[in-house]
Amino acid sequence: MEKLGGIFNPSSPEMEALSSLTLYTIVTTVGILLLIVAAMIYIIIAYRKNPDDNQEPYQNFGNLNLEIVWTLIPCAIVAVLFLLTCNTMKVVDPPVGDHEPDIIIIGHQWWWEIRYPKSGVITANELHIPAGKYLLARIESVDVIHDFWVPELGRKIDAIPGHPNHMWIVAGEPGLYIGACAEFCGAQHANMHIRVIAETEEEFKEWEKQELVIPPTPRTGLAGNGAKLFQEKACMNCHTIMGTAAAARVGPNLTHLNDRQTIGAGVLTNTPENLNKWLTNPQKYKQGSLMPNMKLSPTEVEAIVAYLEALK
Amino acid sequence: MADNKMLIKFFVASESIFFIMLILAYVNFKGTVVDGPTAESSLNPYVTGIFSLFLLASSFTIWLAGKSLRAKNHTMMKVWLLVTIVLGAIFIFGQGREWAGLIEQNITISRNVFGTTFFTLTGFHGFHVCVGLIMLSILLGLALFGDFKGPRSDGVEVISIYWHFVDGVWIVVYSVIYVWAFFL
Amino acid sequence: MSRRLPLVPENTEPLPSLKENQGMLAWVSSVDHKQIGLMYLMVTMVFFVVGGLEALLMRIQLSQPEFNFISPEVYNQLFTMHGTTMIFFVVMPFLIGVGVYLVPLMIGARDMAFPRLNALSFWLVVFGGILIYYSFLTQSGAPDMGWFAYSPLSEKPFSLNKGPTYWALGLLATGISSVASGLNNIVTILTMRTPGMTMRRIPLFVWMILVTSFLLIFVIPIIASAFAMMLLDRLLEATFFTPAHGGSAILWQHFFWGFGHPEVYILILPAFGIISEVIPVFSRKPIFGYEFVAGSTVAIGLLSLGVWAHHMFAVGLGDVTNLYFSLASMLIAIPTGVKVLNWVATMWGGKIIFATPMLFATAFIIEFVMGGITGVAIASVPIDWVVTDSYFIVAHFHYVLYGGSMFAIFAGVYYWFPKFTGRMMSETLGKWHFWLTIIGFNMTFFVQHFLGVMGMPRRIYTYQDFPYWGSMNLISTIGAVVLALSVLVFMWNVHVSRKRGKKAGNNPWDAWTLEWAAASPPAVHNFDLVPPVRGRRPLWDLAHPEQPDEPNAKVVD
Repeated sequence: MEKLGGIFNPSSPEMEALSSLTLYTIVTTVGILLLIVAAMIYIIIAYRKNPDDNQEPYQNFGNLNLEIVWTLIPCAIVAVLFLLTCNTMKVVDPPVGDHEPDIIIIGHQWWWEIRYPKSGVITANELHIPAGKYLLARIESVDVIHDFWVPELGRKIDAIPGHPNHMWIVAGEPGLYIGACAEFCGAQHANMHIRVIAETEEEFKEWEKQELVIPPTPRTGLAGNGAKLFQEKACMNCHTIMGTAAAARVGPNLTHLNDRQTIGAGVLTNTPENLNKWLTNPQKYKQGSLMPNMKLSPTEVEAIVAYLEALK
Repeated sequence: MADNKMLIKFFVASESIFFIMLILAYVNFKGTVVDGPTAESSLNPYVTGIFSLFLLASSFTIWLAGKSLRAKNHTMMKVWLLVTIVLGAIFIFGQGREWAGLIEQNITISRNVFGTTFFTLTGFHGFHVCVGLIMLSILLGLALFGDFKGPRSDGVEVISIYWHFVDGVWIVVYSVIYVWAFFL
Repeated sequence: MSRRLPLVPENTEPLPSLKENQGMLAWVSSVDHKQIGLMYLMVTMVFFVVGGLEALLMRIQLSQPEFNFISPEVYNQLFTMHGTTMIFFVVMPFLIGVGVYLVPLMIGARDMAFPRLNALSFWLVVFGGILIYYSFLTQSGAPDMGWFAYSPLSEKPFSLNKGPTYWALGLLATGISSVASGLNNIVTILTMRTPGMTMRRIPLFVWMILVTSFLLIFVIPIIASAFAMMLLDRLLEATFFTPAHGGSAILWQHFFWGFGHPEVYILILPAFGIISEVIPVFSRKPIFGYEFVAGSTVAIGLLSLGVWAHHMFAVGLGDVTNLYFSLASMLIAIPTGVKVLNWVATMWGGKIIFATPMLFATAFIIEFVMGGITGVAIASVPIDWVVTDSYFIVAHFHYVLYGGSMFAIFAGVYYWFPKFTGRMMSETLGKWHFWLTIIGFNMTFFVQHFLGVMGMPRRIYTYQDFPYWGSMNLISTIGAVVLALSVLVFMWNVHVSRKRGKKAGNNPWDAWTLEWAAASPPAVHNFDLVPPVRGRRPLWDLAHPEQPDEPNAKVVD
């Protein structure tokens, strides 16, 4: 049997607290539902009218004591639930204090920009974190409201233009946790995935070092052609490649595209063939995406793919 | 039947919520203006204050019109209605003058949040005053043709309640926009 | 109003051109509350079919992972229009329409207090609906920013199409209509009651309509002002909701939900009213705890005004704000629970006849409690952080709005159809409709709870093949098809019963409220003579003079 995701696979201390509160509450309330259902079943069996019986039943107008009892019982349930709520909030949402954010997550239509202000790494759609370590994330948006949600790691938090939010991110074990944008944000809201890659401390350090390397720009061959096309074909109007004149922030930073698992915030696996397909017509795979079909010829596409693949 | 007056009272209550929301929007953005005009930098509380007095006075005159109606003094009722309309029109003229002055300085609804909230709030109020003026003119017209001999008329009373409401809204609006910016 | 009125309150002046037989002209010129009520019901039925088809298209698109049935642009228009249609053009006008038809009859009045205003309300709804649907014909299609139109997505430059403008204008018209009918209902209920019909004796349905009407006149202006601001932003480039120009993205949410949450109670309170009429009649007992059912409605109405930000727990408003709204929202569970238990207690000890209206009312209790308990759970901030904007929420509010409001609407239609038309609806088709609804509805929405907690966000036009997502979505889609079938059966039942149904007579259910004293369908003037009202159940008192509800009641004449 495949493993159920989300709340059934909590992978951080926060999510464990959230998951157990949610499940316990749902189980308790389902218990209340079952009591009502049991009463209804009894009523349906016991108080069904016999067709031959023409007497009206006893006309009962109410009972004050009963009303008081069944007003007080829900009061008690609400009180308990509220106390649990307060307690869980303390665990799930520890205060930010005067910590500086370790990560800045910026929602764009329809991808996530991820910055590590302490090291200067800038990437997209894939959030690398060292497992077991609490990192403070600041969540922002440059356009419309998005919502950062990795179901196995914790709460949702809105990315709102002009209203930065903070949350602690931690993953218990190394692994891949797939999340998504949870606030409707336009045409491609469905394809705005985020992949959280939790690694060991060493792997994370290694990755960070790798991300900071400025790759040499190829000058010759197909890749050299691609590098030129990248500057000529308006790619640089939206994208950044470190070490070149391309420094725009509209689209994802492509310097280390090679190291990422997917293209287009999760629509395609990152392989040269898929990159080729994507560049030929991104609208086919992500209709409405802000990356236009640049109407590149197959040779131009090949050159640009070669260039992006050569950046190491 | 007393229905009409009950209707207008609930209607006015409902309208109050509408204006409260516009006022809340104004208050929400007050002090958030980073650049561009603000109430302090672009409005004149004294000129508007004087025009406001005309609107306040019109509330008094419509009360007098109602009193004349109850006293079956048809002539005076017509006179007071006319005075009310004139006073309301002077207020609207004042509003128009203020708007024209602001727009001349390129302070418009799209300039910044002050412009947005100011023009929306005063605009909706002005719209309500204009609607009131139209209704009062219809009343006056009907009265000139001999309607409303008194002592009672739902039409006059209902429009009078509405007019007091429009007046009351202005007191709040003036306080929030002008008094807050200049006298507090 | 004085107590010395004649039994049938008269209008001081004759109504314009209101004759028994106006032929086709009645459909546009009538100001009769019954004619207008029926027109409301027919219009909502049309919109119900349209909104249902939109939902069906969405479910087909979601039936399997990465399915390419409709494009994302169209999908986004569909769910926006589905939500808008079902809320503003189905449930709201249906409940208002039923209210317009029944309130004057139930309180023994001749018509609404303001018949022409009533007609205006109706035509504004039609106008608003046409305006919104017209946007499908514009170049860039219908609005596609979701029924809650979060800014800045609904603003330029993110929505350059005209859809949202039509949407805001259409809903503004509908909002004016709602305020007008709210005002009309309030004045009618407060001043047009027949002698003896005190506020402690009006049917609970009338109580619910009264509280709903107060909510309408106090919360519609909130959204009307927000629509006005949104239109100013879109048309005159004002900057209310555009953070890039100093506006605020969150202000819209406060305005929207300041209206939006009470709106939920506008959608459910009259449904409670229908249930509170149906259950006693078919249990052959008076409602248990009338004062508590009425009082809890008032409590719900008041509480509903102070809970809006529970839709905004993920916005980051701070712990104190979140906890306040969490507690306030949980409190609503108390009066709601009181109501449910009173209904159960009404059935307890009765002699229950399970005709179709009662089947729907019984199922309503269970389906609504299902939606209610998930509602209490998500009032808890941390739980909300887990499930908000996921399919769990979709499941939750469909249990409330379909399992709640729509089930009550069906119960109401089966119950009052004889009064509306003079003919009974088919019980056989009714039972088919009921069981198909139960199967289809639960199949569609129950699994969505699991999809939600497993991580499926709302409003996505496609999804990747995560474990079990495909199969659960397929179950949901099959359920939706069954549900669509159930609606077809219902429509067919209405169609055949209207012409060939069994003749009903004045009071086929042996019910007790005044509308059953009128002819079926009622004459234009409603009553020849309003029965004396000396208790909550005038027709019971007439039938059982030896056992009146209020033996010591004074006779008012």
